[in-house]
Amino acid sequence: VTDVSISTLTFRTNALDSMESLQSAISNTQEQLSTGKSFQNAAGNPTGMAQVNQLNMELSASQQYVTNGNLATGNLNLENQALTDATNLLQSARDLALEANNASLSATQRKDIATQLSQQLQELVAIGNRTDANGNYLFAGHAASTQPFAQNGNSVSYAGADQVSQVQISENQRISAGDTGSSVFMSLPAGNGTFTTAAGAANTGTASIGPGTVTSPAQWVPDTYTITFTDATDYKVTNSSGATVTTGTYDPTAGGTVSFNGIQATLSGNPASGDTFTVAPAGQSSAFATLAGLITTLNSTTLNPGQTATQISQSIEQIDAALNNFGNVQASIGGRLNAVTASQSTAQSQQTALQTSISSIADTDYAAATTKLSSEEVALQAAEESYASLSKLSLFNYVS
Amino acid sequence: MADLLSTSVSGLLAFQQALDVTSNNIANASTPGYSAETANLVEAPGQSTGIGFIGSGVDVQSITRTYNEYLAQQVRGSQASYSSSNTLATQAAQIDNMLSDSSTGLTATLQSFINSMQSVASTPTSTAARQALLNQAQAVAQQLNSYDSQISQYGSQLESQLNGDVAQVNSITTNIASLNQQIAAESANGQTPNQLMDQRDQLITQLSQYVSVQTTTESNGAMDVYIGTGQALVTGSTASKLTTVPGAYNPTELNIAISGGGTTADITSEISGGELGGLLSARSQVLDPARNAIGQASVAVATIVNQQQQSGMDLTGAQGQPMFSVGGVQVLPDTNNTGSASLTVTRGSLSALTSDDYKLQSTGGVWQLTDVTTGKSIAMTGSGTAASPFQAAGLSIVTSGSPASGDSFLIQPTAAAAAGFSVSLTSPSQIAAASLVQGTAGAANTGGATVSAASITNPGAWVSDTYTVSIGAGNSYTVTNSGGTQVASGTYTSGTPISFQGAQLSLSGTPAAGDTFVVGPNSPANTGDNSNILAMTGALAASTLNGGTTSVTAAANSLVSQIGVITQQAQNNATAQQTANQNATTALNNSSGVNLDKEAATMLQFQQAYQAMAQVIQASQTMFTSLITAIHG
Repeated sequence: VTDVSISTLTFRTNALDSMESLQSAISNTQEQLSTGKSFQNAAGNPTGMAQVNQLNMELSASQQYVTNGNLATGNLNLENQALTDATNLLQSARDLALEANNASLSATQRKDIATQLSQQLQELVAIGNRTDANGNYLFAGHAASTQPFAQNGNSVSYAGADQVSQVQISENQRISAGDTGSSVFMSLPAGNGTFTTAAGAANTGTASIGPGTVTSPAQWVPDTYTITFTDATDYKVTNSSGATVTTGTYDPTAGGTVSFNGIQATLSGNPASGDTFTVAPAGQSSAFATLAGLITTLNSTTLNPGQTATQISQSIEQIDAALNNFGNVQASIGGRLNAVTASQSTAQSQQTALQTSISSIADTDYAAATTKLSSEEVALQAAEESYASLSKLSLFNYVS
Repeated sequence: MADLLSTSVSGLLAFQQALDVTSNNIANASTPGYSAETANLVEAPGQSTGIGFIGSGVDVQSITRTYNEYLAQQVRGSQASYSSSNTLATQAAQIDNMLSDSSTGLTATLQSFINSMQSVASTPTSTAARQALLNQAQAVAQQLNSYDSQISQYGSQLESQLNGDVAQVNSITTNIASLNQQIAAESANGQTPNQLMDQRDQLITQLSQYVSVQTTTESNGAMDVYIGTGQALVTGSTASKLTTVPGAYNPTELNIAISGGGTTADITSEISGGELGGLLSARSQVLDPARNAIGQASVAVATIVNQQQQSGMDLTGAQGQPMFSVGGVQVLPDTNNTGSASLTVTRGSLSALTSDDYKLQSTGGVWQLTDVTTGKSIAMTGSGTAASPFQAAGLSIVTSGSPASGDSFLIQPTAAAAAGFSVSLTSPSQIAAASLVQGTAGAANTGGATVSAASITNPGAWVSDTYTVSIGAGNSYTVTNSGGTQVASGTYTSGTPISFQGAQLSLSGTPAAGDTFVVGPNSPANTGDNSNILAMTGALAASTLNGGTTSVTAAANSLVSQIGVITQQAQNNATAQQTANQNATTALNNSSGVNLDKEAATMLQFQQAYQAMAQVIQASQTMFTSLITAIHG
């Protein structure tokens, strides 16, 4: 160490410089303590600021996804309720159909049941036209402001769209916030889904044919088949070209099934010679059309008993298909509600983690800052006291 | 006896002068730039006697200042560096503070904008949600406009500070030249004018605060001052003038020129250090890049949102209109151009667009594009005609007229974008939440495929019509328009959309041969369709910038951290240079400053010497009196 002569000016300016820099450090630490932020701008921590911005964006997006999920949940719950109501309605319609499927009922009794069913058809249309909290139709798909179902007599038409809006419930997850009226009520299988059955209008016997089942889908050849009784017990099945597919014998007392090409249908009652029954490929039906068909059947005065029984049992089959579809849609709604719950629960923990990360980057470490502040205060005090005391020292004090 | 008296008198005079010098040192103990002075005593010439030479007292040979030019240069160098870094840090901190607010910054505003799109997606028929989105669009526009106008304001403050600094430099150099003249004159008389030299050296240190300078000392004591790579600011008693001149491309950005001897030369690129250097760095490293980057973000937001708007249908059933307008490409011709050429420049690919500035120069009839920011040459395709524009860096350049060789243009692709950014939509119903098209499966289809989505991917290529997609054998397909003309064909792969005419159709399930799907204008009744607004949120989050590597929000965020890094570095440099400057100043002051204790000791020394000398005169008088008394008895 070499002794350096310190100029008086230097002594003073250096002492002031160091006091100023300590004061600036104290002001900095004090700002951290009072704002709670460890840096005030990007220059204080460029990477930290970029991270905090990114994390804040993720946090904000996550909060938006939770809001989206809440909206979707609200709509899905409304839809679920509508489907529960529709299920109850169809269940009671099914009970009425079973009650009507009794040859001993009088025409008046059937009309009474038909009147009740008409009431239920109107209620089902009302359910299909329910709206959400914003006045948008639940089952109109994209055509949210268009009333999806219009009833004209017993005929109900669909005016909604075939596509439904998606709602983003997480960064990578979108769910349908509803289902279209066409997929819920309209596009239902007719008959048993593969074929429909009908009794001939000119039948003179009392026999009816059930909706039937598919025993081997691979063997089924879609076509219109006619089952013709050549006498009270023998029948033949011909296809649309008139070729005989199969022949068989039917026992009216025991009932029996007609089987061909991988399907079978149950006959009951007494057929007369020449009676015919048809098996045709199934198209589509709707829950409304099923009820309307049932009403028409029950109101009819011209149908023979076989036709009435066949049509009622087919309606019951179609009601079951509608109920089954409602159940499937409700299961899908349940799945989507679960997805929302799961994504919201993930979002909650993600938001906590994000806030923790943001806090750990951006927030003041109070313990460290307080310690720093007190040591800076001590340093400043020491600098001030030593300057005050040293600046009094001068040889001139001793020269007289 | 006469010798004794004259010797004593020489001592009295010398010590008085030495005390004068000490007194002056004490008086100037706190004067900045003052160099302590020393009275240099020498023995007076001796008189030859028989017994040898007898000294005849003491003389003050000279008064010199304790000055160390090497340390002074260190002070000036560190002063220039500190001043430059500090100026850059101050300028950068303005932009940093502007961008840094994490709750109201650009990233937060963009996220709110995206969130309000999500709200519209959740409730596409809600006018309130649509109005909220328009409000957020306004907020984005206001923020970008406000950033741009603040940067412009900082820019004009910077230009006026350049003017002020140049005036200061001229005033200082004029004074230095005048002091040089006086110093040379005094030196010619054989004296060293310490006070004038202190003043001049102090002025040169002050000059270093404005710009970095080098000095050489002439034999007559005058000091020459140079700037940059050797442009003389002061030569002897002559000072050159600095002036500010309008930039060749952008007259509002001032350049620094030096004029002397009847010529004026632009020395902007030579200027370094000091406030002037700091200001020029701030302009080229902070203000201009920040304005360009904010412009790039503006272009990106407007392009992405507008394209998606045009791919959608608004609540009235019409095709969506652009949501934003954005400022165009700025083309600035060199004011020295002599040819008749002019340019029309438009933006093309968003992913190729950069935030750099470009120079297009014609040399011997050949146009050459240079990235001004990186200094690199950029290859262009095309021939520059309207039919085949030059294509490069996301720009499309059409030249017209004929350039003189050397004529050039500055092309700023994004500089003016943020200033011209505004919301064009006026009504909430104009937000195109629904897709412009809808797809339907043919009623007679036998396959299990349903339409999962129909959308427009390129509104520029879309020709509004009803198109039929017919599936043939082996999943082949053809697309025909309503006139029966085939517009596309291909083989359908499950999961890959069928694309044609800027539209695409996505199917789920497996189509059968003979199935048809129709893609045509969406129905105005589909007010609950949110597919287009959802696509908009996806497009804003996608990596569309910088060659498809960066999203808009990531670009906005990286601007914040880049400015933060520049500010932090400048602040750190400023702190380091301040310390260096303090150390250099301390070293210089310790070497040439006044130490009062030392002066007190010196004062005592000469005071005592003076008293001793007076005692010798007293002794001489006593001796004389003794002799007289002895003679007179």
